[in-house]
Amino acid sequence: MAESPVPGSAPAPAADTVTVTVDGHAHTFPKGTNLLEACNQVGANVPFFCYHAGLSSPAVCRQCLVDVKGQPKPVPSCYTPVADKMEVTTNSAKVLDIRRQMLEFTLLNHPIDCPICDKAGECTLQKHYFDWDGKFSRNDGIKVHKDKVVDIGKHIVLDQERCILCTRCIRVCDEVAKSPDLVMANRGDHEVLTTAPGRSLDNPYSLNTVDVCPVGALTSKDFRFAMRAWELVATPSVCPGCATGCNIEVHASRDTVYRLVPRINPAVNKHWMCDEGRFTYKTVRQSRVVAPISGGQAVEWDRALDDAAAGLKAVLDRSPLGVGVVLSAQSTNEDLHALARLAFDHLGVQKAYVAGKDEGWHDDILVSADKNPNTAGAKAIGGGRLRSLADLSRDLKAGSLVALLVLGEEGVLGADPATMPLDKLDTLVVLACHHNDLVDAAKVVLPLTAWAESDGTFTNKLGMVQRIRAALAPAGDSLPGWEALSHLARRLGATMEFTTAKQVFIEARDKHPFMRGADWGRPILPVQLRFANSRG
Amino acid sequence: MAVGVKVVARPGSLKQQMYLPAIAEGMGVTFRHFIKNFVGNVTGNRDKTDIVTIEYPEQKKKYPERFRGLHRLMLRDDGQVRCVACMMCPTVCPAHCITIVPEETADGRIEKRPKLFEIDELRCVVCGLCAEACPCDAIRMDTGEHAKPTYRRADAVLDKEELMSRGIKSVAVQGGVGAFWREKPEVANTGQVQSANGSRSGADTVPAQIVPEGPPAGPVVAAK
Amino acid sequence: MHMWETIKGSFEYGHPGFTGLSALIKIVYLMLAFGPGLASILTWMERRQSSLMQDRLGPNRANIGRFKAWGITHFLADALKFMVKEDFVPVKAHKFLFALAPVLALAPALIVAAIIPFGAPLCWGHLTEIVPTGTCGQAVDLQIARLDVGILFYFAISSLSVYGATLAGWSSYNKWAMMGGLRASSQMMSYEVTMGMAVLSMFLIYGTLEPGAMVAQQGYWPWQWGIWGIPTALSFFLFLTAAIAETKRTPFDIPEGEPEIIGYFVEYSGLRFGMFFLGEFIEIVFSSALMVTIFLGGWHLPFLDGLADRVPNIAFVLITHGAWIVKVFLFTGFQLLIRWSLPRFRSDQLMQLGWQRLLPVSIANVLITAGWILYSR
Ligand code: SF4
Ligand code: SF4
Ligand code: SF4
Ligand code: SF4
Ligand code: SF4
Ligand code: SF4
Repeated sequence: MAESPVPGSAPAPAADTVTVTVDGHAHTFPKGTNLLEACNQVGANVPFFCYHAGLSSPAVCRQCLVDVKGQPKPVPSCYTPVADKMEVTTNSAKVLDIRRQMLEFTLLNHPIDCPICDKAGECTLQKHYFDWDGKFSRNDGIKVHKDKVVDIGKHIVLDQERCILCTRCIRVCDEVAKSPDLVMANRGDHEVLTTAPGRSLDNPYSLNTVDVCPVGALTSKDFRFAMRAWELVATPSVCPGCATGCNIEVHASRDTVYRLVPRINPAVNKHWMCDEGRFTYKTVRQSRVVAPISGGQAVEWDRALDDAAAGLKAVLDRSPLGVGVVLSAQSTNEDLHALARLAFDHLGVQKAYVAGKDEGWHDDILVSADKNPNTAGAKAIGGGRLRSLADLSRDLKAGSLVALLVLGEEGVLGADPATMPLDKLDTLVVLACHHNDLVDAAKVVLPLTAWAESDGTFTNKLGMVQRIRAALAPAGDSLPGWEALSHLARRLGATMEFTTAKQVFIEARDKHPFMRGADWGRPILPVQLRFANSRG
Repeated sequence: MAVGVKVVARPGSLKQQMYLPAIAEGMGVTFRHFIKNFVGNVTGNRDKTDIVTIEYPEQKKKYPERFRGLHRLMLRDDGQVRCVACMMCPTVCPAHCITIVPEETADGRIEKRPKLFEIDELRCVVCGLCAEACPCDAIRMDTGEHAKPTYRRADAVLDKEELMSRGIKSVAVQGGVGAFWREKPEVANTGQVQSANGSRSGADTVPAQIVPEGPPAGPVVAAK
Repeated sequence: MHMWETIKGSFEYGHPGFTGLSALIKIVYLMLAFGPGLASILTWMERRQSSLMQDRLGPNRANIGRFKAWGITHFLADALKFMVKEDFVPVKAHKFLFALAPVLALAPALIVAAIIPFGAPLCWGHLTEIVPTGTCGQAVDLQIARLDVGILFYFAISSLSVYGATLAGWSSYNKWAMMGGLRASSQMMSYEVTMGMAVLSMFLIYGTLEPGAMVAQQGYWPWQWGIWGIPTALSFFLFLTAAIAETKRTPFDIPEGEPEIIGYFVEYSGLRFGMFFLGEFIEIVFSSALMVTIFLGGWHLPFLDGLADRVPNIAFVLITHGAWIVKVFLFTGFQLLIRWSLPRFRSDQLMQLGWQRLLPVSIANVLITAGWILYSR
């Protein structure tokens, strides 16, 4: 993940720009741009540890020192705003020497645990060492030893020896989580990171400290020793944990997800995501429906589709009014569009309901109360027909529903299954990802891919249509919802000839105003992190 | 895009280009040998000196010092496995035949070690990259043994205990060149990557059974 | 009693029962005993002969108790090994075709034996009498089927074995096998053309395609055999080259090419591999037999002209059959000599040789033969 330009560094009107000479070449930057960002934007490659584009600049690591003409001493570029006619040198012998010496300081007592350090392969210290130093240690004495494996919070383990005292983690707690859990203690060689008196690192954004830590001092208990970073393949996607829709990368290897990390999007989540969202990957492969089920038996797709179509057709032939569909706020816009097209346009279904996870806690940092990633999309695609689960319960009790087609098993039964007398239905077809009581009650179950196995888009609470990408192969025989629905449609006499998610997306975009202007994005080839540079 | 084709003129006369005379000549050579040995075999006085066959297992060829044999896992001074589950070897292994599941230890000294360490000797292509990649001198291929034939595939997957059973204590400093390298004045910091006191093939690390005895005199060392 | 007479009658000479039974005996003998038997021994002979050619010892260990016989029982050990080895089928292989392929490779190799005459005709009812050639009223051909299409039958059947190789390659779900299968099909098809042309010129000379008739036209004396004469020697050379290419043996073993792709049977093990293996050697046996038939006087025993007029028929038949066996055996030995002397061609060289050298030569050969016949008439 490359450091993105700070928000506001986009080209601005000429009056607000300054001209700075970096290594002999004049460049124009907006006023107020930080000198480090400016240099790196034009390819000067100034190294740094403590600076983070999403945090304040304390200038403690002294790694980004550059020469500015007229200044008696080298200046920390992360702490200096650009000024007109500034002349900066980032590659003089003196600057390189200082850079090397600063690295040597940082490495003086560093334990060099790389073989067992989770950060190895994506460690900023490793990268800078190879880029700028590459020398053997000149340390004669015994290294200062500090505590290793310190449990400082629910999700996090600290290795004080590896810490290079950059204070990024402290700033994340202070500035992002607004929970000052971490502090520095002692001085000089013995300075250590530790928890603030009486606190532990337990805020809902604590794992961001692991991401920002340029070294392996903070490690996630969940990811610890699970997989070497260089083996992981990053797939850009969107967190399915709540309506905020934080942009993430899914880090997977050999068809297993190992972690989710935030991806920069200044308009949504900036550099961060919540801890809860990070663990949404855990359920991806849990209690999955891996094969179509018909009448309680695992069957072939063809058989299940035939049974589902026959069941629906029997009711449809009597009257489309007896058929209802349930849209899920967990499904992608593409799946929802395919269902809407089948149910509303082809079959003439009138009754539509929306289901999803229950509301939960929220804060005003990132987390939304709505725990579904695509409520906005489901509401927009369902349109005026959509009714609530309470209405579904009422219709079921009244017996006005004879057949029900459900896309997504999540939350349909609500808190009390007794309110949903499903046994009154002739036909219950569920497109489901995970097993639950609804799936057990269904006549036909069609297995769906999980979000991490699907290509598609989610609409977050701000109305932004964001792309998710498949990071894993589908579990078992599962298919994406739009594909399963296309097969079903063909058996119901409707023509829905979708062969790719992109086709569905394009059709949906042309149809639904809320998707107008959305972009499917380019195909992204899987890249192993070992080829993607340091993430620190 | 035109593919560049370079036509190489074949040298030689028509006779050479026809191959047939050369083929006949070659077959003449093999036929002569056949007749000579056939007659020798039948009459029972075949010239034994030009037989190149090594009659394994009665005779064995002497392996070179750097022969890559069955893997083994080296031990720490206290007999624990030296491997720190750094995953370098499975990363570099071109055959994907090393499976390691790391674990944390309660032992304060060792943070990470392999809970499971398996090498599938059937998949191994004996490239030696694992031993090359190991930063801890934990995995070696210097046993001088072949992977044993087995009746079941599963038996060819060697587990940690099996691999450790061949291991010996390594004299390399755990962790490589550490802070104390100047305590060994004879080792100069040349700036080259080498371990302080026990490079990979240093005499003191080579186990007794394959101590090199100089180059073998002939290709065959007859067994007693 | 009446019934018994009828049955007995139908087994008298010239009746369907007799014809059927004699054919069955010939099939069992040639296709199930002689062919596979010699092929099995060839598997050992190949290794033994190559070792002698290369100053090695070769397989000499296998024994049954004290019976060692230079390790000849290695072929039994091999058969046993093939039988008890794991029968491995790749998960994604096409199960049916995967099982069918070895059969398709083995069966044609056996079936081609049908047209090969392997001895002088028996004279039924006069086995112990002296029956001069051509005077027998109740002749039983030592040939399974006397077909007028003769050699064409050989072509038709032997080209079927390309299915074995190609299907094996395709059904294994392995890219190397696939490549081997493709190589095998392209190679076999290319060389069939040359082979056909070589036979065409022999057809011009003999005026028949029936192998029995071809043998009859060749005399006892080696200089009366088909191989002599400019056009026929060329035909022999072309046929031999193409036949080796058809059997996919070195120097034409590109479909297998051990150091590069292993070939179409890379996924086969145990008995199924054994079938490919045996099929290859049976092909050698019967292609040798065919060449002996066309070019080397078939079952004619050299230097013993007029033997039929001196010994009882049964002895004559056995002697000629023995002569045929010896010729075939020596010819297979010659094929092994070639296999262990020449290095493998490259794929493009193979195609070049087939299409740019051998094919023009074989066409020219047909023309020369035709001209020669026209001239000598
Ligand atoms: S923090 Fe970086 S340099 Fe330090 S031990 Fe870990 S990987 Fe190595
Ligand atoms: S733990 Fe990491 S982020 Fe925190 S101060 Fe140390 S090096 Fe910086
Ligand atoms: S705030 Fe919501 S979308 Fe963002 S990471 Fe947390 S759960 Fe996921
Ligand atoms: S020798 Fe090569 S193939 Fe075998 S385990 Fe080591 S790295 Fe893997
Ligand atoms: S490279 Fe060495 S230390 Fe690392 S996992 Fe392999 S054997 Fe263990
Ligand atoms: S695998 Fe390698 S070493 Fe073994 S026979 Fe083939 S080429 Fe030779």
